[in-house]
Order: sequence, then structure tokens, then C-alpha cells
Amino acid sequence: MGVIKVEQKKLSLSERLYFPQIIAGMFLTLGHLLKNLFNMKGLPIISYPEVKRIYSERFRGRHILTSREDGTTRCVACYMCSTACPAECITIEAGEDERTREKFPVRYDIDLLRCIFCGYCVDACPEDAIYMTRDYEMAIDSRARSVVGLRDLVVPPNFPTEPMGWRPYYGTMRKEGTAGGTGLGQELREAPFEDDAAPNPDLYRGN
Amino acid sequence: MSTLTRYSAVPYTGPAPTNRLPYVPANGEAIARRQAELAAHIAFPYVRPEDKQDLPTFIVERERIVEVLRALHDDPELQFTMPLDLFCVDYPKRKKEGRFEIIYQLYSLKNNERIRLKVHANEEQPVPSSYPLFKGFDWFEREAFDLFGVRFEGHPNLRRILTHEAFQGHALRKDYDPAQRWILTEKDVAVLVPVVTQTPQDSEFEQVTLNLGPSHPATHGTLRIAVTLDGETIIGAATEIGYLHRCFEKMAETHTYQQVIPFTDRLNYMSAIINNVGYCMAVEKLLGVEAPPRAQHIRLMLSEFMRIADHLVCIGTNLVDMGALTNFWYLFQPREEIYGLVEACCGARLLPSYTRIGGLAVDVPSNFMEMAQSLVKSIPRYIDDVDKLISRNRIFHERVKGISPISAQDAINFGFTGPCLRACGVPHDIRKTNPYLGYETYDFDVPIAEGGDTYARYLVRMEEMRQSLRILQQAIDRGLPEGPVIIDDPYIALPPKEKVYNEMESLIYHFKLIMHGIQPPVGETYFQVEGGNGELGFYIVSDGTKNPYRVRVRPPCFAIYQAFTQMITGQTIPDAVAALGSLNIIAGELDR
Repeated sequence: MGVIKVEQKKLSLSERLYFPQIIAGMFLTLGHLLKNLFNMKGLPIISYPEVKRIYSERFRGRHILTSREDGTTRCVACYMCSTACPAECITIEAGEDERTREKFPVRYDIDLLRCIFCGYCVDACPEDAIYMTRDYEMAIDSRARSVVGLRDLVVPPNFPTEPMGWRPYYGTMRKEGTAGGTGLGQELREAPFEDDAAPNPDLYRGN
Repeated sequence: MSTLTRYSAVPYTGPAPTNRLPYVPANGEAIARRQAELAAHIAFPYVRPEDKQDLPTFIVERERIVEVLRALHDDPELQFTMPLDLFCVDYPKRKKEGRFEIIYQLYSLKNNERIRLKVHANEEQPVPSSYPLFKGFDWFEREAFDLFGVRFEGHPNLRRILTHEAFQGHALRKDYDPAQRWILTEKDVAVLVPVVTQTPQDSEFEQVTLNLGPSHPATHGTLRIAVTLDGETIIGAATEIGYLHRCFEKMAETHTYQQVIPFTDRLNYMSAIINNVGYCMAVEKLLGVEAPPRAQHIRLMLSEFMRIADHLVCIGTNLVDMGALTNFWYLFQPREEIYGLVEACCGARLLPSYTRIGGLAVDVPSNFMEMAQSLVKSIPRYIDDVDKLISRNRIFHERVKGISPISAQDAINFGFTGPCLRACGVPHDIRKTNPYLGYETYDFDVPIAEGGDTYARYLVRMEEMRQSLRILQQAIDRGLPEGPVIIDDPYIALPPKEKVYNEMESLIYHFKLIMHGIQPPVGETYFQVEGGNGELGFYIVSDGTKNPYRVRVRPPCFAIYQAFTQMITGQTIPDAVAALGSLNIIAGELDR
């Protein structure tokens, strides 16, 4: 087994005199100062909020629910995401489309204060319905607003998939809408929910 | 953007899951042989071996446990001198032998060997305390008392440690409802009284008791320390922990194996991927599977990056506590970049949850190796800057040399592992003694230092970062192995998304795995990795269902922090702060 002993050498005379070491340290920090002065662009500083950090394409930020071409949500209320969620932050109520007998979510709430942004809901979704965006600005001013519902989460069909955060599949393939898509039930979805009386338009900015 | 292969294209033809079959350890014969040897060597009539365990295991009669522990400790051939872990598993249905199974794990530095002892007890039966023999079992016994209600006879200070004074019941018992909440009111709060161990004979000062924390900038986490001062000298100290307790182990029992991974992030949040790897490898050991080579290579590389990040934060904040703020900026820059690399892989910086049981969540980005190479090239510069500023600086030397020392013998007796043990001159590293992820194929050294003081711990951490960089450079030179990053077993890993969308069979596997989870064989196993602070072990008991029956974390901080009161007695408050920083106590791991 390779073992090395870290040497603890005694200080030399110049090191024991304090000042040579202090001056050497000053030179080191001065070097950094000069380097930074002449290379302001290379500074490891982000002047938030004027400049924002760009995260990778896997960033696990705020969720969205994607839509099919005809405007209905892809979510079929199968409860996979809420089952896989370790934080138990997703509440779903399923409804049925009267004409197509298709299931869809009447209520889909995510408690962002409970959410731990692990991405398990995205991994669990068999319908390509839930994605995580690169949106990390989720400040709210009251606890009630931490629960985001369908009207905050559902994005229009033409919503750009890139740039996007954590998503089920990195590539060109997307699940095409095969079932549903009648547009029925859309009224239900847009009806105000009792506990969602104050939707937060800031939370969905459609970036 | 490249299409990422998460899966091999070959359809699964392996066996169906081994639901409710007993767990068979991989090298069972060797263990059984060693167990027989040990049994012949110990030769106590009240010790009987237990079969089909992944370590030599013996069931000891309750009254005789201290006797056996002493014999194992004192035996010149065996020398089981290091207490690793003491914890309890609750089996309420076992009426005859007692519902509690108290498990002792000891380690022998001489033979690089582990042993497991089990004792059965019920609520009324007290277990003799091993405290004076193994000082490291002090808090572990208190924890078992707190969370299970096991009474340890002869323990000098048997009171709650992780939960608060108003807590009723014992949280980890199987019949305890996890939804219960207990509110601590002001009248219930106990006053923390330091135990004065050094009374000066003729002091001109009045004794003052001072409270540090739990929210104090120098404690870096919710740690509370009360000290009694004689002038400036600490003559007695007491610590209180549990402020960040969230009962990880109980949460793990109510979630599936896969769902526990995000919780492990929050143990040592400075090096979260090491926790992920440790937990996943423990479950993989129980399942008898191994992650693909590509996943193992990535796990190793990210573990080493995380170890560097852990040490950077430890040294940086430690130096801030001593007033050397510049070093903090220099050390946090590479740490930021390491977290940037982690974020590029898995989408989160601090809490990655990157591994899955059987591999990784997704493959690394295509430019991973280039990013890693540029990081490995840039990190030494920052370390060298700090080296130049600090390592030969007389102010720093006089501040840390000989401060809060601990002898190697004491450190072993307290169950120290990791850099803090190596700073005492004991060359113990899990990556060398029990290699995993292919560490045995890498060329690196274990740094040790003399003295066990704050300075030695600083030096060991600095050198360990350089050794980690050596490992990383070798890993980069070897290149990433081709292939999938997660095993192709639909009973363990989710099928790839394109199959889920288009194939009925895969969709069923997908649903089954999320609804019913991974169902490992019935049994128990222990797996240890070298965490940022030392031996991070996961002990998993499975009953064949989707939720673990018991997940036990062996937290390295917990063992180390016990010695803190002893280490700071006789020192001053600034020394105590410096010592605390150098021990790298992470509250998330300490309190779980």
C-alpha cells in the first residue's frame, strides 16, 4: 500500500521572521489583482440579476406540462409521477373526456416548497408530458403561492423544447400525440380551481 | 446534441427478480471459512455463528457482550480495536428472543478485517454498555436508546441525542407512526451543562459558561457547544446535536429503494455523489448486480471530484474561521467549477441524485472528458496558491500546530476514519483496504501525518486533493469505456424512454418498476465507501418488499464529533473553532 508521510518541516529563518512571508503573500494576491484588472471579462463573477447563469440542458428547474398539437395536455393522469415522487409533492385528480373516454388531469398541483427537484417525475412519465425547465427563479411572497396548478404548468403546443432542462430523452425523438386530442375537456381545465384562486402569472413566463 | 445511449439494444433475457429469496453473499464460502476460524479462535460457549452473512457474524448472549467485545479488542492476533458501528434493528414479531437486534461492527486495523456481533434484547432487557471499552460507542448507544428505546446498562449519560426532550416514543421502532409530530416548547428545553474535567487549583478567574451555536458562523451547521471557561482556557465542554435531524433512516423505510437516493444527497452535502454511490453500491451488492464499466468509471471520477470539493470547502472555511479570508476565495473557485461539471452531468449542483441502482440516471455529456481534463489542469493552481499563502506562514503555524491533538490510539478507540485518522499517522483508507469501483488499479498514495492536530489534518487534506487529482488524471488517460451506463435489467432499471413510448412490454416494465419498486432478496448487507470524512457505510436490511426494512448509515462525522469535547478541553475558544473546522463536521451527516 502506497503511503506517504506528509512532511512537517521546521520553518526557516526567513519564514520565522514573519515579514518575508507576508510580503510574498502580498505579491501573490497582488498578482491575482493585476491579472483580474486586465482581464475583467475572465472574472468568475456573475452580476446577477443583470447577467444570469446559464445552466446546462439537464438543469432541474421548475416543471412544465407539455401539450399536444391540438392544445390538450399530454398528461393522461396515470399517477406515475406522483408515485415516483420521493417528496410527495404532486397531487393529481383525474377526469374523463366524455367523447374519447380518455383520462386527463382535472387537477395537477405541484407544491414547489415540498419539491426537491430530483427529476424522478420526469423519469417516471410514460407520456413525455412533464419536463423540467432551466427556470430557477421561483421566489414567492406567500406560502399559498408555492402550489402551482395546471394553469401555471401547462405550456402551449408550440412551446420550444430547447433550451430545456431535465427531460426524459436527449435527442430528436419525441412522443407524438396518438390518443385524445379532441379538445374536449379544455374548458374544464381552464376553469378556476378552488385552491388555486390566486394564480401567479410570474411563475409561468413562457421563456 | 448527441443521442445518448442509456441502454443496450439487446432485449432482456435474464432471470425474473428473486423476490423473497434469501440473500446469498458473493464470496460466501470464504466468509464461512473465516467465520469458522474466528469461532474456533474465540471459543466462547455463548457465541454462535450466523450463516449467510456478508461478514463473519456471531450472535452473542446479551449479558456477555462486553466480555466478548473485550476479548476481541485485547486479543493480540485479532485486535478488533476500532468500533465502527452500533445500531439496532427492530423486529416486533420476534417475541421469544426479543424484538431488538443490536448489531456491533468492529474493525481490525492489523488484519484489515471486519466482524459483526448481534445481540437480542427486548424493551425490558438492558444491554451492558460497552462505553468504557470503546469510547466510540458512546453516542451510538445513545442513538439506539433514543430511536429504539434500548437500554444500555452502565452507560454514564444515557439520554436522547438526536430527538428533542419533548419527543415521545422511539422513532425507529416499527410500530411508531412516522406522521406523528412533537413540539418542543421552551419549558422542555434542557440546559446544556458542560462537564468540567480540568479544575484549576488556584485560579484568579471566575468560571464562565459560554454557549456557541447552534446558529453561529463558526460552527458551519447547526452544532451547539457549551464551554466552561477559566479565563480563556476551556476547562469543560459539552456538545448537543440533532438540530438537523430529519430521521433519514425512518424516511428510507417508507420509500422505495430508488426513492432513497435523493435523501442520501442530504447526508454529507459537500460530497453528495459519494453518498449516492455508497448507497447504490450497497443495494447493488444486495441484488448481486454490478453497474456497467462506463458507469463505474464515471462514478469513480465524480467521487474523486467530490472528495476534492469536500476538502476545498473544509480547508477554505477552516481558514476563514482563522481570519484568512483570501484562501476561501481561492479555494471556492475550483469548487464552483467542480459543481458546474456535476451540474452539466445531472442538472443540479449541490444535490445531484445522479446515480441510480444499477448505474447512472443518464450518460455524461459528450464533452465530459474535456471538461474534466481542463478542471484537473486548473485545480492545482488554486491549491498551490493556498499552499504558498498558508503552509509556510508562521502566523498559521502558531495558530494550528499542536492545537487540539488526538493520539492515534484515542482516535481508533473513538472510531475515527478518513483524513482525521490519517492525520494521527494511521494509514487507513477504504480505497486501499477494501477497494471498490476499481480503485485497486489506480496508482495513488495514502497521505498520513503525525500529531493528529489541526495542522496535521490540514496537511493531510491538502495532500489528499493532490492524490485525488492523480487518480483523476489516470482515469482521464484511460478514457471512458464504451457501453451503457445502466444495467439492462427491467426489474432494476427503468427501460429507455423510446421503448416505453413505443413498446407495450417496456411500458409494463416501466409501470411495474415504479409501482412495485425494486424487490431485492431477503437479507442484510453492509457496504462501505471512503467518503469525504471517512468510512461511509450503508447497512441495508431487506424483507423482499419494495421498501427497505431498515437502512442504516454509518456516518463518519458522528464518530469523530464525539471526541470533540475531549479535544478542546484545555484549549482556548479560537482553538476550538479552528479544531471544529478541521474536523469537517457536516450537520447533515451528523444528524441525519
